[in-house]
Amino acid sequence: MLRLVLRAKGLGKVYRTPSGEVTALTGFDHTFEPGCVTAVVGPSGSGKSTLLNLLAGFDTPTSGEVWIGNDAVHALPERERSRLRLRRFGFVFQSFNLVAVLSAEQNVALPMGLAGIPSALRRRRATALLERFGLQHRADHLPHRLSGGERQRVALARALANDPDVVFADEPTGSLDSAAGSKVMDALAAVAAEGRIVVLVTHDPTLAGRAQERLRLHDGRLVEVGAPAVLDTRTSIAPHDVGAA
Amino acid sequence: MIGSLALTSLRRRPLRTFLTALGIAVAVGSTVIFLSLGEGMRRAFAQELRGLGPDLQVSFGPFDGTVFTAVPELPIRYVGTLEAEAERFGITSVTPILLYVRGSLATSTAFVFYGVPADMDPRSLYADFELIAGRSLDPTVPDALEAVIGEQAARRAGMTVGDALRLNPRASFEIVGVASATGGLLDNAILVPLPALQDAIGTTDRVSFLALDLRVPEQASRTAAQIAAAYPELGVQTRGDISSIFERGMQITDVVRLGISGIALIVGAIAVANTMLMSVFERTREFGVVRAVGARPRFLFGLVLIEALLLSLVGAAAGIVLGQVGAHVVNVLAFEVVGVEVAAVTPRLVAFAVAVAAAMGLLAGLLPAARAARIPIAVAVARE
Repeated sequence: MLRLVLRAKGLGKVYRTPSGEVTALTGFDHTFEPGCVTAVVGPSGSGKSTLLNLLAGFDTPTSGEVWIGNDAVHALPERERSRLRLRRFGFVFQSFNLVAVLSAEQNVALPMGLAGIPSALRRRRATALLERFGLQHRADHLPHRLSGGERQRVALARALANDPDVVFADEPTGSLDSAAGSKVMDALAAVAAEGRIVVLVTHDPTLAGRAQERLRLHDGRLVEVGAPAVLDTRTSIAPHDVGAA
Repeated sequence: MIGSLALTSLRRRPLRTFLTALGIAVAVGSTVIFLSLGEGMRRAFAQELRGLGPDLQVSFGPFDGTVFTAVPELPIRYVGTLEAEAERFGITSVTPILLYVRGSLATSTAFVFYGVPADMDPRSLYADFELIAGRSLDPTVPDALEAVIGEQAARRAGMTVGDALRLNPRASFEIVGVASATGGLLDNAILVPLPALQDAIGTTDRVSFLALDLRVPEQASRTAAQIAAAYPELGVQTRGDISSIFERGMQITDVVRLGISGIALIVGAIAVANTMLMSVFERTREFGVVRAVGARPRFLFGLVLIEALLLSLVGAAAGIVLGQVGAHVVNVLAFEVVGVEVAAVTPRLVAFAVAVAAAMGLLAGLLPAARAARIPIAVAVARE
């Protein structure tokens, strides 16, 4: 399947605050390639989250451009950006961000429902995604009944619900122990191996070390682009091998 | 999708849903009880009008509350005047009626006396009149101190045939019969011979009104206009006129009751708005996530609005049940005191309550819904 690239050109963001302007990101240029996990690293306040917000269309840049294929994310009206997030992007957050009143299966089915997929089909696909991440027996459980690792894998299943081109993961292992975190990283690698772009924002050097590409930000600038690393052997595992954390 | 999500959200937060719905139920319930009073009075009056015999009622001046004053105003000579005009106006009978209210602080000893000719058939005044004990007034003794008492009045005062009913120091009537008129005014009235009542209250030349029967009742409005033109000092009313006088009075009380109900409804609306605002605030991250995975702002707007609407409708359903229970209690109490069921929860009242609750829910949900739709995704998903 032909996947698209995600490009940022001269991307910048300046926040206006009562005490003056704060430059969170400036002159960011990069092309994110399909089939690759790109880790964005840097200290707190370096602009990692701002970059992710701009790439994902959560926020509009002050300068520069973001393109996914032929779609100019930076210039789209909110309605079109919502459509883009629904069809082409998937998200995994540090604090899981599952909808508390929905079961695991309902959480996974949520983006499909928003996309207008019929109920029977979205149920079938949600079940398949939960199976992929070893959670079929937890389908009816509410998030608070799941462990941290399980919640994050439900979030990953939800991120894949509409077969996106890009998965954004913002500190996905930040709330997990190392074993559970490792499993989630395995899963992200497997997702990238399917030809998707995975943008991973992390503080964790171990996690960043397992990415194929590493971008280092400092004071809102891209200061280092790490050469693609040798593929971690664990990224080659088949998706169904990713078991419970 | 949006409906099931709203429903799930309400179901999974049962305590909040219950308490908010309870607030709405109390608001709608109190509204239903207040408004049911008007509905019940309308129903009781309509029932009364159905049983009302005379085609026309003639008073001195406009027919209004003054016919129930202690001093009657219509000179009795108009009986002869109208009887003389019977052929011209198509009148078949002219019956003088004297009303006298014996007031009392205790409702069990307050009565409405109807002074009527002893030889009058009560059915000409009240079609539903039925004697259930004793006998009618004796037509051979037109000024006898005897009375036929309505069933509810008898029950309320604890009286029966053979008891004495004291009007004032000059007159005490012996109860000779008990009548039923199926819940109408006569159930609470006391029929006594006209001359006896005139003597008792010292008014021998005046009555409260005249009841006229017509040869062609369908022409009552035209005949009323003819009599009023010939005798401008008289007020002539058909049954429809009386109904409209009552309806005007009811409309005034409707406004008052609606005003009181409005306060309860505003309190209910504030409860919904407060709950939904709190809910939006607490669920900022959840809404941010839903937006992040692709929902458009209007989806969240609709979601919050539907939740507010569902809450209001659930509250309205409970409120209507509450209102029915309340109206029943009011009726039990009112029947004991005045012998009439004054409250009724009618279909149009139920429809009104549902419509008001729905409008209340939508209005109360607007601000929280707009707020939910404006939540910035980046801020919401980062929130702990």
